[in-house]
Amino acid sequence: MPSTRSFRYPLSWRLLDLAEEARRLLWPARWRRAVPYGLLLPAILLVGVIVAGLGYMADYSLRELDRSTFLLAEDYSLANFRTIAERPVYLRILWRSLLAAVIVTAVCLVLALPYAYMMVRTASPWARKALLIGLFLPFFIGQVVRAYGWLIVLGQQGLLNSALGWLGLGPVDIIYSYPGVLIGLVQYMLPFAVLMLAPAITAIPEDMELASQGLGARWPATLWHVVLPMAKPGLVAAGVVVFTITLTDFAIPEILGGGTTDFIANAIYDGFFAISDAGLGSALAVMLVALASFLVAVIFALVGVGTLGYVAERSR
Amino acid sequence: MSDPTKTPNRLCLPRRRLLKTTAIGAAALGFGRSLPALAQDEPAKPDEIIVRAWGGVWVDSLDTGVSQGFTEATGIAVRHDLTEDNELQPRIWAAVAQGRTPPIHVNWDTTTNATKSALRGVCEDLSELPNLDGLFPAAAPIGLDGFPIVNVYSYVYVLAYRDEVFPDGPPTSWNAMLEPRFRGRVALYDDGIGFHPVAQIAGGGTMAEIPDNMEPAWAWLERLRDQEPLLGEDPDFTNWFQTGEIDLACTIISNAREARLNGIAVSWTVPEEGCKVDTDALWIPRGLPDNETYWAKQYVNYALSAEAQQTWCNGLGLPPMRPGLTPPEDLAGDPAYPDSPEDFERLIAVPTPILVEHESDWFARFNEIMQG
Repeated sequence: MPSTRSFRYPLSWRLLDLAEEARRLLWPARWRRAVPYGLLLPAILLVGVIVAGLGYMADYSLRELDRSTFLLAEDYSLANFRTIAERPVYLRILWRSLLAAVIVTAVCLVLALPYAYMMVRTASPWARKALLIGLFLPFFIGQVVRAYGWLIVLGQQGLLNSALGWLGLGPVDIIYSYPGVLIGLVQYMLPFAVLMLAPAITAIPEDMELASQGLGARWPATLWHVVLPMAKPGLVAAGVVVFTITLTDFAIPEILGGGTTDFIANAIYDGFFAISDAGLGSALAVMLVALASFLVAVIFALVGVGTLGYVAERSR
Repeated sequence: MSDPTKTPNRLCLPRRRLLKTTAIGAAALGFGRSLPALAQDEPAKPDEIIVRAWGGVWVDSLDTGVSQGFTEATGIAVRHDLTEDNELQPRIWAAVAQGRTPPIHVNWDTTTNATKSALRGVCEDLSELPNLDGLFPAAAPIGLDGFPIVNVYSYVYVLAYRDEVFPDGPPTSWNAMLEPRFRGRVALYDDGIGFHPVAQIAGGGTMAEIPDNMEPAWAWLERLRDQEPLLGEDPDFTNWFQTGEIDLACTIISNAREARLNGIAVSWTVPEEGCKVDTDALWIPRGLPDNETYWAKQYVNYALSAEAQQTWCNGLGLPPMRPGLTPPEDLAGDPAYPDSPEDFERLIAVPTPILVEHESDWFARFNEIMQG
């Protein structure tokens, strides 16, 4: 029988034991349940800052500007909300923003689905790389630069009108108009939609489509009965993201709208900066946050949370 | 009106070089007289002071006319912050209210906005500046005690037009903007600044009715809205003339002049209804360290000296607040460069207190109309 007196664990094992003991002292087992909450802490702090900002906004929105001192009144009132209700311009701007959000969301989903589908399903690595480059390149350029790009393309002396001139056709006025703003927004939002859709399409087993076709379905029927229903979580997520960003966008209407096609964010900016009325600007901001939150809640209630809640739904 | 063909592109750079040379020379001659009156115990010099300015020809002229001379004389660098005045205003207000250091040392601002800041109590008193002596009375703020702000020049919102669309001479009325051929080819400031009283007169109203009855202005602006005007800021007008987007604009003469000096065939006129004349101001926010406040005041004081006013205002093509200076050659006798009481009679001046109290409402109404 071998002697155990001389047996010693290897040094590395003993060091690991010491490290483990130190960890137990510094972070006892009973604290382990706090780990997930600890990981949530940065997000909670970030959201807390946003909520605090919204709290200030809500406070300002209930205080009217005193024009003799240009300070907000100490007393609370609904004067700023009354001003919004009494000025038809805000209703027009609100309607214009909502309509744009709906149009841009619909167009982006229609364009993003085939793009994302091809990107996921193509057998050619070169085609996939080209589509990925096409997807990510706009993110490197930025919204303002892309908007100015449209000015160059669609302006009176831009590429489009130059081409029309060569063909003997008259110039067309597209920029500084509502359609011009919509074009700019679609181009800005399309990559977001593709990014949100691609994971959902990746999650659709290709076998399902093959099975559908094997059972005699033509491609449109497979698209309608297999791909679209299974891509619904991605469509919902992409739709919500595109809708909310479009609804709150500032730069594209500012640059491509020519000053006469404002969205709500532009009206908020004017409240704060053009007329120095933080109360009115805050009231508009609170209204926008409430409206966007309500609409997103309605969408979630009607069609679910899409890929935004994918893990939770699967776990049920 | 001078012929744009006589001011080709190449004049642009030599003009700036001339301004720069003049500024540095003027600084050497002029700063020594203006500074010592305040400089018995000079406090520590900051590395730089920050001056808010508008872009394009505006900051170029300030740089050559004032900032370079100031730096030459004091060794303090001047950084120009091109944040839009309306955007910076609430930041300064918030900084002063919260006891933080304001983001700039000197604010170059419209007199209306500057007066709002003074009413809010965020401006340093400038009454002790030696170079306030001898300025036109219009340099003094209206409705405020002392000099929390100082007006530095006058300017006119002219009717600027592309030469080729008026081959027989300049338009005589602002109603030219309503001609069908200019649909989609007229431009205004995006809040209508400079245009509200003009619209009042063009719409058949009178100045006496301002601010109680502005309906003629709003009715006229509704007709103009049907022309689908473009709305923008100072640099937009030059850009839009350059890219062929517009034929007519209500803009400050400096922008139209800059476009012409850059080779664009643009002229301007004062139509029979008149043009709005206004002023810009300089002021210093409260809450700066004492030594920085001191040197910011020196900057403002220098900007009011004859030498700085001559170079700065000539660069902008605007009449200065100091009498006896020489107007730019291309603007001598131009009704949009008012330098006599008769010139000012042709222009429309709205008292600052009325602008301070009502301009925000006019902006809102203008926006309401233009948003369709």
